[in-house]
Amino acid sequence: MRASRRDFVKLGMAGGIAVTLSRLGPAQAASGPQPFLGHETLPQTGLGGPISGRIDGVAKVTGAKLYASDFRASDMPGWPTRTSHALLVRAHDASHVYEGLDLARLDPAAVPDVVVTAADLARLGVTVPAFYAGDLLCPVGETPLYLGQPVALLLFAQFDAYDRARLAFREGGMLRFGRETGPLKRPNYAAYRFTRVAGATPEAPDLYAPIREGWISPGFTESSGRPIWAPLPVAEGGAYAEGARHGEAIRAELKAADPAVLTLERAFTTQSVDPMFLEPEAGLAWYEPSSKVLDIVLGVQSPFEAAESVATLLGSAQADRRPARIDAKFAYVGGGFGGRDHTPFPLYVALAALFLPSRPVRLAHDRFQQFQGGVKRHAFAMRSQIGVDRASGLIRAFAADHVLDGGGLANYSASVATVGATGAIGLYDVPKVDVTTVAEHSRGVTAGSMRGYGTLQTMTALETLIDEVAVALPLDPIELRRRNALPPGGRTMTGNPFSVSVRAPEILDKLEAHSIWRDRALHQRQARPGVLVGTGVACAAKDYGTGADCSLGAVSIDPEGRIAIHSDAVEMGNGIGTALANRVAAHLGRRADAVTVAQVDAFDALGLRSSGDPYAISQAEQDAAARDPRWVPAISSPTSASIGAQVGTHAAAEAARVVFRFGLWPAALALWAIDSGDPRARQWRDAYWQGDRLILSGLPPLPLKAIAAEAHQQGGVTGAMTHAFSRWAWAEATFGLPGEDWTADIDALAVRRGAGGFIRIDRRAVAFPPTEYNRIGTAFTSMCGTVVRVEIDRASGALTIAKAYSVLECGAVLVPQVVLGQAQGGFAMGVGYALLETLPPFEDGPGNGQWNLGRYLVARGSDLPLHDLEIEVLPPLSPREPPKGMAEVVMIPVVPALLNAIHAATGHRFQSLPVTQAMIKGVLG
Amino acid sequence: MTTISLTINGRPQGPVAIRDDLTMNDFLREVLGMTGTKFGCGAAQCLSCAVIIDEADGTSATMPTCIAPAVSFDGKAIRTVEGHARDGRLTPLQARFIEHFAFQCGYCTPGFLNEGQVLLERLEKAPIARADLERVVAEALDGHLCRCSGYVKYHEAVRAVILADPARYLA
Repeated sequence: MRASRRDFVKLGMAGGIAVTLSRLGPAQAASGPQPFLGHETLPQTGLGGPISGRIDGVAKVTGAKLYASDFRASDMPGWPTRTSHALLVRAHDASHVYEGLDLARLDPAAVPDVVVTAADLARLGVTVPAFYAGDLLCPVGETPLYLGQPVALLLFAQFDAYDRARLAFREGGMLRFGRETGPLKRPNYAAYRFTRVAGATPEAPDLYAPIREGWISPGFTESSGRPIWAPLPVAEGGAYAEGARHGEAIRAELKAADPAVLTLERAFTTQSVDPMFLEPEAGLAWYEPSSKVLDIVLGVQSPFEAAESVATLLGSAQADRRPARIDAKFAYVGGGFGGRDHTPFPLYVALAALFLPSRPVRLAHDRFQQFQGGVKRHAFAMRSQIGVDRASGLIRAFAADHVLDGGGLANYSASVATVGATGAIGLYDVPKVDVTTVAEHSRGVTAGSMRGYGTLQTMTALETLIDEVAVALPLDPIELRRRNALPPGGRTMTGNPFSVSVRAPEILDKLEAHSIWRDRALHQRQARPGVLVGTGVACAAKDYGTGADCSLGAVSIDPEGRIAIHSDAVEMGNGIGTALANRVAAHLGRRADAVTVAQVDAFDALGLRSSGDPYAISQAEQDAAARDPRWVPAISSPTSASIGAQVGTHAAAEAARVVFRFGLWPAALALWAIDSGDPRARQWRDAYWQGDRLILSGLPPLPLKAIAAEAHQQGGVTGAMTHAFSRWAWAEATFGLPGEDWTADIDALAVRRGAGGFIRIDRRAVAFPPTEYNRIGTAFTSMCGTVVRVEIDRASGALTIAKAYSVLECGAVLVPQVVLGQAQGGFAMGVGYALLETLPPFEDGPGNGQWNLGRYLVARGSDLPLHDLEIEVLPPLSPREPPKGMAEVVMIPVVPALLNAIHAATGHRFQSLPVTQAMIKGVLG
Repeated sequence: MTTISLTINGRPQGPVAIRDDLTMNDFLREVLGMTGTKFGCGAAQCLSCAVIIDEADGTSATMPTCIAPAVSFDGKAIRTVEGHARDGRLTPLQARFIEHFAFQCGYCTPGFLNEGQVLLERLEKAPIARADLERVVAEALDGHLCRCSGYVKYHEAVRAVILADPARYLA
């Protein structure tokens, strides 16, 4: 099966267990049970209003219970009031046989009430979801598959006992290990080769491209486990052999000594890092055997997936301990950055409840445990070759080989490998490309999704290489980039063009004109004694979306003109609620009064059905399935891959358009006394909002409140609920609505009339994006460039970022302050990745349970140019340009720009990360 | 076990008997259910757990609660994020945090809010020159870790409160 950024999920029943998902609203912090709000209260209607700003702002500045780690049993209406506690014990050794726990060493006051082992899970009959394949608990007598693999789940009725045990386990000595086996070996997670050979002209068809030939994998490995990339002289080579022949030809060309071509070959390695979201993973669950209901509270980026994974886990459990229903509630997320997308943590929360029935149990990582068990960024080892025509500065060919350390479990390794590989040529137009990538199993902590998602690593290697090419040619680094920038309509590595705006020339112009770049020589000359000054530049083009993205949204308006929005997107700091409110306001003339996010169960009226894998389904299967008017390729997506603005708000925006066209517009016509035969009755596209008043030229402005009241009076459409699906293009469907067949970028619709309930409207026709689009690497991209000036103390190697400027484009900006904040946060995370953060692999790394902040360094305010960081966001190309994802791209160029600046200052090119003060001091002698 | 009493947000708490090695963070979150004070690292490195301690001499300072035993707070008066808004009205700093989009996920906000509030109260008693404002704010907030925001808007929000009332905070 093709690597996919997400596993397929279904709503309703999973493993034969009914699943409901709902959102956990904020509760005001106070002792004793508090009622949950069904929605967020906007500042205007909450404390101390009116206030502009984030719609979740009041809850976050008043300490409301908001995050999964905030909730205890006593906060949950209808639950028993006492909270029990769970401790997940993890292995710090993956080279010796695990022989069990030594609980006799525990203080009697710290002894658990229940000990859950692998044998207990086997007796219960759990089914590990395919995505998390492997033992959830290492069996006694086996060597742990990876450092940090859980070995036991300890359950405590009393907090004090739990707390004592937690500290005792951190001290060590509680796990017994026997004979040495060495680390376990497992097959690699994925190996792919992406090769493209362009035609003779930009317009000519490619001679070879993955979009046409398919994605290829060698299928043969050496005894070491590494793939054999060369085409083997056997018939089984099949499709791989043809691609490999093209790839090897590109490499041969790069190796040929052509004096007209500058050829560089460089190695670059990147480190493992932790997402270091500030709220460690936590969850709360209660299994009541009498009702056979499992209630679970979680905070994840992928609620739909988490609920279904728990259902799969327990779907074949012993009948007397198998839930009949799972009620999953999702709280706000205290940071995510990808690290809470498809994490196995919810499985352990559920198991804790199953093994302590009738008692609510809380499982919460402390920071040591989060380092030991949380998903990490992949470490990459890369070797890149580039050939550049000396006369023109045009890149002739590029080849690279990537090796990823995926750690102990597969998780997203295959997907990160392919995204990193297909992003390896950045924003450049390269006619011959050959990139191999392999994601390997190791005994390290599992690596998975994290902001930048493979391209941070590969574009850092590329952008430092481009800088080196510029020096070697020599050619101005920005001019070199300009000559090679992908033009609009140019083809990506997989052979398809981007389907969105491509604005590399503007980005480069902005960088070139900025004073940091323009005055770089002056500042270098004027450096104070003992200080080295250097300026570096870099650009990145980052994909957003996954190729199978879903959006669920509902918008309602009441007779007073108050607007409520529901969405399945998750708020993890990305401001999705505020973005929803703003995007809907463009259609309805008023910022929403209530926005509810992370809600999947509000969309039952759509009656969605799904089957198959959206990444692997055949065209024939999709065509057959699409005849069911309720079928969609997938139902709900994680909030990840920078899809919040483009995808997360799309369904709500489309719902708002329906409410306007079939509810507010007919009501407005009635108020204007325009009958259906009047030509103006068709001019709804020409109407616009000025404040909360609807304007149509030549007619009196109408207040929203009056229009809404009339819409309710008429029994018009006052609410709409939609589902949308994107496979690098939106599915488009037609629905029969009053007086018009409505065709829009949605595939399911329900509407509400007056004060009635939502009623599904079956689509009359649908066009899902063709399944061959699954061969696209990405069709969506945003671009960002960074220029940075550093000052390095020659004696100590200490680096100061004196000034920095990032310029980005992201289409329509829904919430400017959120975009700026993401860019500033991305800059800080980039600085940390380039200069500070690192986790050693294996025994010295986080899997040993001894890592925490202090030892792990992240960027603080004093590491950053807080008063000298300028962010510029290019305006959209047109008022109708949709929003584009930008949360990841803003981090990427920061890293190579810093490395290029360090080179400019010191003359040394570092080719591994992070570049620490000690390393800089080392090269300065 | 030790019995402690203290004042939290102006309300007396205790006497309550607790284990001597129970952290103040767990006392707030597990015993009292006051989860506005966050747990981030357990190593006093991120300061999302910081609360305000009001001393008898009228001075205030923040202190991390994740490694400090609760018994060390016996007899003390502290303020937490839950205690800033009064009578349904946000403080100027809370309001500016929202207006400036200072935070994103918001998990570090209680610590920044407490630190900023202590700074404002300190400046009320000892105003500073305008020229020192950026430096003083940066030094005050530097111990606090935020993974989302890049810190810029936190600093902007604190400065905005001060600049909106220069007679109170600036010399």
